[in-house]
Amino acid sequence: MYSNLTPVLVGLLAAAVLATAAIALRGPVVRRLALRQISRRRVEAALVVTGSVLGTAIIVGSLIVGDTLDFSVRQTAYQRLGVIDEVVSSSTPAQGQQAAERLAGLRADPDVDGILTVRQTAAAVAKGDGPGRKGEPRAGVLEVDFAAAAAFGGSGSGLTGPQPGPGQVVINDQLAGALDARAGDTLTFYLYGRSTTARVARVVPTQGLAGYGGSGAFFAPGTLLAAAQEAGGRARPETLTLVSNAGGVEGGNAASDRVAAKLRAALGPLTSQGTEVDKPKQEVLEEARQAGDELGSLFLFIGSFAIIAGVLLLVNVFVMLAEERKPELGMLRAVGMRRGRLVRGFVVEGAVYALVAASLGVLAGLGVGRVVVEVAARIFASFGEDDGGLDLVFSVTPTSLVNGFAMGFLIAFATVALTSIRISRVNIIAAIRDLPGEGGRRLKRRWVVASTLAAAGFGAAAWVAVARSQGVGSYLYPALATLALCPLLVRLLPRRAVYTATSLAVLGWGLGANTVRPRVFDDGSTTTFIVLGVVLTFSAVLLVSQNQELLLRLFRPLVRRPTASGLAARLAMAYPLARRFRTGAILIMYGLVVFTLVLITVLGSVIDAGVDRAVANAAGGYAIRVDYNPAAPLTDPAGRLVGGRFAGRVQGVAPLSAAEGRVTGLPGLPKPIDSTVVGATPALAEQGLFPLDERLDRLGRDDRAVWRAVLADPRYVILDQYLGQTGAGPGAVTYRAGDALTLTDPRTGKAERKVIAGILADDTAFDGIGEHSFGSALITSARGLREQFGGGAEASAALLRLAPGASDQALAADLQGEFLANSLVATRIRHLVELDYAANRSFFRLLQGFLALGLVIGIAGLGVVMVRAVRERRRSVGVLRALGFPASTVRRAFLLESSFIALEGILLGAGLAIVTSYLLFKNDDELQAAGSAFPVPWLSIAVLVAVTAVASLAATAWPARQAAKIRPAVALRIAD
Amino acid sequence: MDHTDDHQPGPLLVAEQVRKVYRTGGVEVEALSGLDLAVRRGELVAVMGPSGSGKTTLLNCLSGLDDVDGGRVLVEGRDLFAMSDARRTSHRARTMGFIFQSFNLIPVFTAAENVELPLLLNGVPAKPARATAVRMLERVGLGHRVAHRPGELSGGEQQRVTIARALAARPAIVWADEPTGNLDTQMADQVIGLLHELNRQEGQTIVLVTHDPGVGGSAGRLVRMRDGRLVGDEQRRPARIGV
Repeated sequence: MYSNLTPVLVGLLAAAVLATAAIALRGPVVRRLALRQISRRRVEAALVVTGSVLGTAIIVGSLIVGDTLDFSVRQTAYQRLGVIDEVVSSSTPAQGQQAAERLAGLRADPDVDGILTVRQTAAAVAKGDGPGRKGEPRAGVLEVDFAAAAAFGGSGSGLTGPQPGPGQVVINDQLAGALDARAGDTLTFYLYGRSTTARVARVVPTQGLAGYGGSGAFFAPGTLLAAAQEAGGRARPETLTLVSNAGGVEGGNAASDRVAAKLRAALGPLTSQGTEVDKPKQEVLEEARQAGDELGSLFLFIGSFAIIAGVLLLVNVFVMLAEERKPELGMLRAVGMRRGRLVRGFVVEGAVYALVAASLGVLAGLGVGRVVVEVAARIFASFGEDDGGLDLVFSVTPTSLVNGFAMGFLIAFATVALTSIRISRVNIIAAIRDLPGEGGRRLKRRWVVASTLAAAGFGAAAWVAVARSQGVGSYLYPALATLALCPLLVRLLPRRAVYTATSLAVLGWGLGANTVRPRVFDDGSTTTFIVLGVVLTFSAVLLVSQNQELLLRLFRPLVRRPTASGLAARLAMAYPLARRFRTGAILIMYGLVVFTLVLITVLGSVIDAGVDRAVANAAGGYAIRVDYNPAAPLTDPAGRLVGGRFAGRVQGVAPLSAAEGRVTGLPGLPKPIDSTVVGATPALAEQGLFPLDERLDRLGRDDRAVWRAVLADPRYVILDQYLGQTGAGPGAVTYRAGDALTLTDPRTGKAERKVIAGILADDTAFDGIGEHSFGSALITSARGLREQFGGGAEASAALLRLAPGASDQALAADLQGEFLANSLVATRIRHLVELDYAANRSFFRLLQGFLALGLVIGIAGLGVVMVRAVRERRRSVGVLRALGFPASTVRRAFLLESSFIALEGILLGAGLAIVTSYLLFKNDDELQAAGSAFPVPWLSIAVLVAVTAVASLAATAWPARQAAKIRPAVALRIAD
Repeated sequence: MDHTDDHQPGPLLVAEQVRKVYRTGGVEVEALSGLDLAVRRGELVAVMGPSGSGKTTLLNCLSGLDDVDGGRVLVEGRDLFAMSDARRTSHRARTMGFIFQSFNLIPVFTAAENVELPLLLNGVPAKPARATAVRMLERVGLGHRVAHRPGELSGGEQQRVTIARALAARPAIVWADEPTGNLDTQMADQVIGLLHELNRQEGQTIVLVTHDPGVGGSAGRLVRMRDGRLVGDEQRRPARIGV
């Protein structure tokens, strides 16, 4: 993943490693110092490495998820398309024949290694009769010259062997599986409304030509044309010319643009008469790359919180390490070592840690990726119940491993280098005598000036960002401007007052920005959420850190008790209070990860709570959509679906017809967009009502009035909110009700101007109508569709409103059985929405699981800090034991201390997440309009808090035990 | 827990045949070799001897901070090493106070909080404990430093806080290990003067380990050690040192 980033990352990696090597080679003292520290302090070295291993693991795991999706979609594309790289389709058999003749000249082209013309249609297929009958309402049927197919594109065409004779058919194993059919069985095909039987000559694997376009049955040339003529209707099979590029299944795609241009040139005038050249493999591969990148980015986004937690752990451990070495550092400075050399020594040491951690992190990342892919594979399988699904196959590219290694190394290296600069600023005497840090040293005047200037710059940037409702800038710049103002303010006002006011201001803005600027999340950028989470958590922790004393007053009765518990509590709270930086870093680690986890949990429950509303939006009062084969249309659907054996169960029918259209001229969408143009009769607005997100008020006061106007007047259309979108959220919609667009029939070139009368709240009921599953729906009146698209408009679907109490499941099964000859497929709309929700829920859980890795970092970090604290406080513990503190009180003090910090961080994160999600909820017009209450999943949050708290306690159990075992005489080091 | 006014017959502390061996990498070093010592109530005993003679080991073993390899130690008639660690710890909290060379105050607590620790350990409620701590700090001349943390105090001030802490619960015996080792001469004189004053005025039993002949010479009883054995035990008229 992210192969475009590899050169930059590898360049930075090389620069960092070379710089470190140069420092080590040129400075023998620095080198010796760094390397001996590592070997002398192996436990500490292990702790630092642990801190950054998980960060790299999360990065590599995220990239692997992207790789896997990319690979899996590619494999599916290769398997389904085989050697087919381009497809030339014509609207009529005659034009198809002309196209085939024109393209024959390209057979000798070096870029092309196969051209094959086939005819294709859709038909229902059944095996057997009576109760044991098995049917497939929508199978692709192809007539093809088997000899030509065998030679098509070399050896991998996927359709070889002898041509089936009259009354025979070859089927692929997918269709055979659906029908439980094997060679020798007799199948009934419903072609163009007439039934015909054929014996299965053989079953072939579903790949290449034998899997193309969902095809499942293969006849000898002439079969489909003859069937269409016998049926006497106007429907005819589609003529396709398939092209295979030189280079095989995977390599052929490289020449796709070149070959497509040659094909268009060869087709000449036919391209303007409805003959089209598609590059299905290139499109699928591009979609695969995009989907892989998007999913990988999503995991990287979720993982970024854990990565930040890892960085903080690294800072914390390194600062503690430096504190322990303070007397040594002081001595080194005293004997003349410059600060720069100290920094270089730390950098060499840190680079070794970073290299080891990045290497181990890559290995751990492989494990993380594997687990995520295993879980995701199950979710993807459930996504695909209706559309063939996607088999996720674990895949790792060297690019991802290199990128992950480089990112992990660079993050750890930069963290260590920056931390080193801070810790090298020791006061020599204080360091030698191991006195507490000076703390609160005044910043030099030039830095105050620079920081104030930076505040002005950030302030200006904030002004612009907020005015434009930019997501990241609206949160980041005001926070940076306020922070950069602090050095000046602390010269004028008390430090605590400044930081309290600053953190309150940033926190208030973080929580309230969405209310002041409601469109701040409209760009759909995940970075906005990362910045928001970081800004909120950092400011809240700063606020708490500055005012811990106030919070601790709540515990005064506990602390003042002259009991072992009281003394333990007193100690437990004294240390976090005295070590504000360390405590703050742990609080941020916990707060940040818990914030995101709880936010995801709450948002998940908000989404879940909206399932009924989503069903209502998606269904518009209809329960089932039936799609039938335009080649064998259901005549009089309104009469046949309401009457007969369905009487009393179906209350209303809204017939739909569809055509392929092309939309241009929409604001913000410069390229033409393919769309499924759906024609509906006025019945659609009478039998049910699809809610609109936006409507053109001049057409009526409510949604129904607008629908009636659209279904009566061909000048108006209704769009869904995803037309022309490529992945961003609904916020990226660039068109509004009242905008105009141009709708073109690509077959005839006939274009008409339309006005957007409304934007659908949910297009599920219109998605993929008939054969046209390639674009978002555009709904217009049936009359308007017929007038513009003529023969291209096919009656292909209907929406059914059920009588109260009628079972949609039973009805759907009955409908499919009754109208098998029409290839009728009945889709239960509620079931469709619920499947989506179930898959979303699983996906949320997967994200939560992935994010929980961040909690592991937080908990491990707390454990690491407590291990260090025990070492650091040996002497104090010795004194306490000498004064008469029981061992159990010492242990309890350490456990209470870690619990106090962990709980504070957990509650901080959880509280912020609930407030943030509530504000998001309050600012969402759609949710507010629905009138649903804000659902807080208290049980899930309580479990999360409890599990995290218990895990934190467990992580500090060992250090607490070690502290309790300290022998006073040894700890005090009272030696003669 | 006021032990200083008790006038029970017999010595406060009795050590009989105390033996302590350090084992490092297979090498055994006998730090105390069957040592006997008795300390009466109200005594100020100075323990002197060259480095490695076992002075600090003696203090650690007699106070129960460290285990012994032989012999027994009775404080107020109770054998320290016949008790469990928990009982010994509790006994220590009631009967002993400690003054260390490097002060060893709890860095995250204020002076008053450090001083009140032994009182709280002995179950004194928070308010009277704080009042006593403040009084003790005033007694050692630090009434104005009550709310300061150790990092904000000079070495001499820290040691005076340590003394206040050691005496706050009115222990039977105070152990002081090189209490002036980290102080300049003037500050050292003040600290030793304070200990003498407490011993003289309040009858506080004090055992102090020192290198300093001046400090040792000022004590009422001087015990000399060499190679883990007592080689001298002199009763002397204490010098008149005061703050």
